[in-house]
Amino acid sequence: MNIQTTNEKLILRIDGPMAALSRISAVAGNTLREAGRNKLFFGLLGVTILMLIFSILLSDLALTDQKIRLVTDFGLAVIPLVCIATAVLLGAVLLYKEIDRKTLYAILPKPIRRSEFLIGKFVGLSALLLGQLIALALCWAGVLHLRGGSFSLALAQALGLNYIEILLVTSAALFFSALSRPVLSGVLTMGVFLIGRITYVINDLMQATKGVFAEVPAMRALGRVLVAVVPDLSTFNIADELQAGIAIPPDYFVHATLYGLSWVGFFIALSLLVFERRDLV
Amino acid sequence: MAEHQDDILALEHLGKTFRVGFWGKKVQAVRDVSLTLKRGESLGYLGPNGSGKTTSIKCILSLIQPTVGKIRLFGEDPSNASARARVGYLPEAPYFYDYLKPTEVLDYVGKLYGLDAATRKKRIPYLLDRLGLSNALDRELRGFSKGMLQRVGIAQSLLSDPDLLIYDEPLSGLDPIGRKEVRELMADLRREGKSLFFSSHVLTDIETLCDAVCILDRGEVVAQGRLSDLLRMDKLESEALVELPIADLEAAKARLLALPGVEVMEELANVLRLRLPTDVVPGLTAAVVEIHATLRELSQRRESLEELFVQKAVHVSADGQRSPAAGKSA
Ligand SMILES: Nc1ncnc2c1ncn2[C@@H]1O[C@H](COP(=O)(O)OP(=O)(O)O)[C@@H](O)[C@H]1O
Ligand SMILES: [Mg+2]
Repeated sequence: MNIQTTNEKLILRIDGPMAALSRISAVAGNTLREAGRNKLFFGLLGVTILMLIFSILLSDLALTDQKIRLVTDFGLAVIPLVCIATAVLLGAVLLYKEIDRKTLYAILPKPIRRSEFLIGKFVGLSALLLGQLIALALCWAGVLHLRGGSFSLALAQALGLNYIEILLVTSAALFFSALSRPVLSGVLTMGVFLIGRITYVINDLMQATKGVFAEVPAMRALGRVLVAVVPDLSTFNIADELQAGIAIPPDYFVHATLYGLSWVGFFIALSLLVFERRDLV
Repeated sequence: MAEHQDDILALEHLGKTFRVGFWGKKVQAVRDVSLTLKRGESLGYLGPNGSGKTTSIKCILSLIQPTVGKIRLFGEDPSNASARARVGYLPEAPYFYDYLKPTEVLDYVGKLYGLDAATRKKRIPYLLDRLGLSNALDRELRGFSKGMLQRVGIAQSLLSDPDLLIYDEPLSGLDPIGRKEVRELMADLRREGKSLFFSSHVLTDIETLCDAVCILDRGEVVAQGRLSDLLRMDKLESEALVELPIADLEAAKARLLALPGVEVMEELANVLRLRLPTDVVPGLTAAVVEIHATLRELSQRRESLEELFVQKAVHVSADGQRSPAAGKSA
């Protein structure tokens, strides 16, 4: 069998940043495609859409001037949480599945760097989560409209910040999934998320004059460590400010985004460090 | 070991130790393997299950790091993508994304090799057709048989027209026809000048596929070299199949074995397969007549790869399975 279709030598473009980008996008595309087939993903999406619709009925119980408020608050709280839950669930098995199903062994011997593969996985999942966020936002906008409200720029900005938080949690999930098995990595990612959302509370408690964080030295130390090693996710949640009608200065968004993306970079760098040397047996 | 221009693959004292279990117990999967593969050559990497073949291959492809030793793939460290770009690899169990169709798998792989869209579009259907998959193009891989997956695996290994093909157990798990087809394909590739490095735990019919072999047992090389040097093709030895009279079995057998240099290779009820020096053949025929036995076959002996293997690794079959991998991949 002659496997050459022509007599000329095939051209393999493997050097340079463009070639690397195209490999990353190939991995991302496949990751997106696989995650998009996930039943859990669609289940979660469906349930959330139902909940958003249900919030209309719920808002009927509220006082007239509170109706829009209720739908707004509900969406602002639930949409990011659902995306985060998806990030944790799919992120925890992101690498494990490839290893468990042995698909990785056919891919990594190709002229692709492990770092490219890892970044491709991250980009693919991030794209899926963006799609999910947009789908939920559209549905929410419809519900708001039905209640006589509107999807304001402020709400879009709030969700934009939430997407940075989602990316951060995804990168943490990537790191833990490079390090350990699905259940443990899921739990650890969840831990980062939960503690990340309340670090500011811990911080406040340490500043206080009373309470365990202020009085017990061991708890003080623990609090300090937690505040230092866990990203402060409250940065990305401006729902309270929106409700109070507080205007957010534009450079807050810039700073919050930079803060979030540095954490993303940090977690991805850590994942690379772990994954680069790992024996894939 | 001196490095030559022609060596496209060289292992130097390769060793891999795994640590297993809570206490990190050491498992030496590969010990001190050195070999070279020259351009256009075909090397059979042989050994029973669990002898370290897959582990070595994973080291060659940088899926795992050797504990000791050095690997040169096209003169480079295999962790360099540019070295791997010239390799086509068929994994032991070719698992691909089972939600993809054959064309999609190859398209993905083609992108990783940096083939442009036009080339992929031309080459993928061509290869799938050559491998007899054109009637399965619209099916997802999840419904594929082992043989069909193997074909997809081979198709993707050829996509980039690589110089070196590394196939891990290309013949295992296939039915006789499938085996024959893959064997013929590999022979074709060899004729085309591709270098071949393939592993196998089954030895029948692979002699024609390789110039040289490296036989492993428990991670160690027990025999290595060109087939023509390793296999005795002794004109001075012959092989005979003799059927003895049942009435006087023991005496008849004793009579034959009394001839100089006669050994029993196989014994089945009253049928003996004997190995003997060729100049003893007249003596044997005389004895056969004398004891009223029947000479069923007489031929010049050529040692088979299987015999060499059994002879070198005979203690393996004695203790049978000794590793989880042995049971799994059998
Ligand atoms: N990840 C691993 N951890 C521990 N031991 C392993 C691992 N992979 C392989 N081994 C052991 O290494 C030996 C060689 O295995 P392998 O390379 O798969 O053999 P082969 O491919 O020749 O059947 C076996 O004893 C196997 O149990
Ligand atoms: Mg094997």
